[in-house]
Amino acid sequence: MDTLTREAVRYLGYGNHAVDEQTMALVRTSIEELRDIARDRIIYRIFELETDGNESVKIGKLDIKSKNLAKNVRGCSQAVLLGATLGIETDQLIRKYTVTNMPRAVVLQACAAAYLEEVLDQWQDGLKAEMLEEGWYLRPRFSPGYGDFDIRHQKELLQMLDGAKKIGLTVTDGMMLSPTKSVTAVIGVSKENVPCHRSGCEMCGKTDCIYRRNSR
Amino acid sequence: MILERLGKELLYFDGGTGTLLQSKGLKPGELPETWNLLHTEEMVDIHRQYFEAGSDIVLTNTFGANALKFHNTEFELEDIVTAAVVNVKEGAYLGVHDNREVYTGLDIGPTGKLLKPMGDLSFEDAYEAFRQVVMCGEAAGADLIHIETMSDTYEMKAAVLAAKENTNLPVFATMIFDEKGKLLTGGDVPSVVALLEGLRVDALGINCGLGPEQMLPILDEIMKYATIPVIVKPNAGLPKQRDGEVYYDVVPEKFADVMQEIVRHGASAVGGCCGTTPDHIRAMIHKTKGMRDLESQNRPVPSEVTIVSSYGRAVILGEKPVIIGERINPTGKKKFRQALKDHDIDYILREGIEQQDNGAHILDVNVGLPDIDEPTLMKEVVTELQSVTSLPLQIDTVDAEALEAAMRIYNGKPMVNSVNGKQESMDTVFPLVKKYGGVVVGLTLDEDGIPETAEGRARVAGKIIKEAEKYGISRKDIVIDVLAMTISSDPKGAKTTLEALWLVREQYGVCTVLGVSNISFGLPYRPAVNSHFYTMALQAGLSAGIINPMSEDMMRSYYSFCALMNYDENCEQYIARYGNQTSMQTVSKNTEITLRMAIEKGLKEEAHHAASALLGIKEPLEIINEQMIPALDEVGKGFEKGTVFLPQLLMSADAAKIAFAVLKDEMEKKGGTSQKKEKVILATVKGDIHDIGKNIVKVLLENYGFDVIDLGKDVAPELIVETAVKEQVQLVGLSALMTTTVVSMEDTIKLLREKKPDCKVMVGGAVLNQEYADMIGADFYGKDAMQSVYYAQQLLEKR
Repeated sequence: MDTLTREAVRYLGYGNHAVDEQTMALVRTSIEELRDIARDRIIYRIFELETDGNESVKIGKLDIKSKNLAKNVRGCSQAVLLGATLGIETDQLIRKYTVTNMPRAVVLQACAAAYLEEVLDQWQDGLKAEMLEEGWYLRPRFSPGYGDFDIRHQKELLQMLDGAKKIGLTVTDGMMLSPTKSVTAVIGVSKENVPCHRSGCEMCGKTDCIYRRNSR
Repeated sequence: MILERLGKELLYFDGGTGTLLQSKGLKPGELPETWNLLHTEEMVDIHRQYFEAGSDIVLTNTFGANALKFHNTEFELEDIVTAAVVNVKEGAYLGVHDNREVYTGLDIGPTGKLLKPMGDLSFEDAYEAFRQVVMCGEAAGADLIHIETMSDTYEMKAAVLAAKENTNLPVFATMIFDEKGKLLTGGDVPSVVALLEGLRVDALGINCGLGPEQMLPILDEIMKYATIPVIVKPNAGLPKQRDGEVYYDVVPEKFADVMQEIVRHGASAVGGCCGTTPDHIRAMIHKTKGMRDLESQNRPVPSEVTIVSSYGRAVILGEKPVIIGERINPTGKKKFRQALKDHDIDYILREGIEQQDNGAHILDVNVGLPDIDEPTLMKEVVTELQSVTSLPLQIDTVDAEALEAAMRIYNGKPMVNSVNGKQESMDTVFPLVKKYGGVVVGLTLDEDGIPETAEGRARVAGKIIKEAEKYGISRKDIVIDVLAMTISSDPKGAKTTLEALWLVREQYGVCTVLGVSNISFGLPYRPAVNSHFYTMALQAGLSAGIINPMSEDMMRSYYSFCALMNYDENCEQYIARYGNQTSMQTVSKNTEITLRMAIEKGLKEEAHHAASALLGIKEPLEIINEQMIPALDEVGKGFEKGTVFLPQLLMSADAAKIAFAVLKDEMEKKGGTSQKKEKVILATVKGDIHDIGKNIVKVLLENYGFDVIDLGKDVAPELIVETAVKEQVQLVGLSALMTTTVVSMEDTIKLLREKKPDCKVMVGGAVLNQEYADMIGADFYGKDAMQSVYYAQQLLEKR
């Protein structure tokens, strides 16, 4: 099973269990459909970063109070701000299946989430190599809404990126990204290569989550 | 007056202001619009430089000056806009040395929000934000309104309507395309041109996003469809990044070279966007000033193409035949009527999606029933349909109010069904088409009825076309329906129709449309007659048949005709559809499987088959109790235990739903009434646009026999409470995804307690847990969808 499929299945709540054939077929179809219709777009900008490594992080002119983020970017002097979206076509397709075929809607939305992560991983690998040439190392990406990184910063990040104009990524009054299959994130950049054993899912404190990634 | 010059002589816009402002000290994060008041001199100086460079039109520094984007407590929006207009005029005073006539363009940019149904900004709120700015700009003395950098046709429509309805200024509208010629929201060039020409803007075009070279092919595409002057305002190349800063690197000379090419390819007004400077504009003008007199040049001739559009696609009539799906219409359809009465929007949406999946290109939408609030319903159905299908819609109603309501909120250029030769009809419909844009179906009947002869019908067509011209509606926006009269009452009916089809096309060169199925009314085995008549009509030049795409006979005619007449390259579509015909027929259905197993395994077809078979030997209620309920219980328990997972649970629900439908039909046939169901309201709370969790709960609750009133997403507390009171509902289910929207959940619960204290509330969603649910005063926290079903059962004492 490739990573994309494995992640999609995890989002569907299967944990360690084997996946039934019907669901697996739906996952395959959904991924194919996404490759066809998703218009994934990424925008990023690099800003100066200052942090006390404890709680306060300053990216460009933006002040953020977050212990989790500060820890994540400890020792960094720059930050990549990132916005990414699969576009409204994906939302529209999920909505269509919500009316005609609910199992498919649910599987598609899980696949879309996994698909976006894959797109970002691949993009980040490219950026990592590019930055390394100039001696810079990247930290794992960290998004508003995780840990104590307040989701309200979503709006400021998007303004700094001009996300609405550049990639059609907007934020609602309730601080939700729209299109829904979208991400904003901060990636710390430093001159020192700090090995990161834990990233993403494993870093979260909610250990009883049914969607938690297995350590194996 | 600018309109007297537009299209006749080449007009020059200014270039970018962002870069110049930065060089004068604008800090990142600072609102550029505040400079109109804080740094008046610098602003005026920038405008002056452009006038000196030779610009005819300079835009105000008001790109982000709308109430939704401009959040500043220090300044009033009105003061900013007024000052911005004055600054350009001051710049003209200082910068124009040759007595030429110049213009102040009120610049309008996007709100930065995504409109409903995908986002959370309502069309009306967007309209309101633009209205405020355009009125202020006109009062301050702007000469024209320039709406630009829009990536959403819907937001563009709101802005154009606000400008046209509240000012008398000319309106220019340009959008931002990507290199593939698409908008961020999915629209393509013909759909954009159709929308903007339909709204009767004075000029349309493209700006930002791309450099001049990348814009050339898009301009060529625009020129294929546009009949009004075209504006091109590129960036100084594609954006690049250095040290975290964005910059553009096409130099003035290079920029000017390509701009000359752009004028040659048909642009009537040119300027620059991001990264361009007065030097770019000066170089461009130097290079193109010999081309100033546009009429003397050999430029592309506008073509008249009939285009219907939605936000995401354009359908062109008059080339390959087009299918208009007729099924969203209550006439003669009991279930559809019932769905309308029950406000079962999903049923209508499924009718639309099925037709799309089966090959329809446009969907006719008719929701007219006596005693129904048609304007409200039509608006709702059109909006909802546009959230699940990108097919253009044909708004089909005799209610003028419903027609206007739908045309106003429709995202695109709709088809309008219909106008006829009666003066009253034309007086009602044409003003709407003029205002909102649309391709209107003209029925060939008038005060004297339906002419018996083809010549008579062509005469009425001519009358309609002539009257439309008075409104400035050209014949490309009229398609004529020569009417198919049933042959069982009028033996010559079909022949007359076919003759008239040919005649109308020959005499007026307009596209044609026909409701095909009427021809066989009163005859047995109608599909045979319909499909043959359909082929004959296509052969006689029919542009668009209004047919039932679910009828295989009709579709066979369509695909065969296209293959035969070389509309289907390499017969690809024909082969795609019928290539595996034989294998399709040999798929064996597993008939051994029981209904219980079919539901447990989530097999829809088998469930349908098994339920139908069981009806021969058992009563519906027996089947429900002996097979269906045990199956659902089994799956539900498996889900609880963690052996069955969400997709499977939902597949079982789907299979059960299909079996229920079979049984329900049988019960209704026997005249029985299904028992009264308990009502449950479901809603995703205000501010929250993620509704998949709520929809899962809905599917399951319906499966367990509840009547779910689904209020959708982003629902105001007031609407939830009002509905609970009106429908006497005992249970409300609320969903919220994030901490930011749990607040609305709490507000809703408070209001419910106050206005309907006997109503219980269950809550669910990603951020919730028992503790949180207790804190906001919910009666029940459902950690998964099945829990809500059990709670509803227990509470409402089902079974």
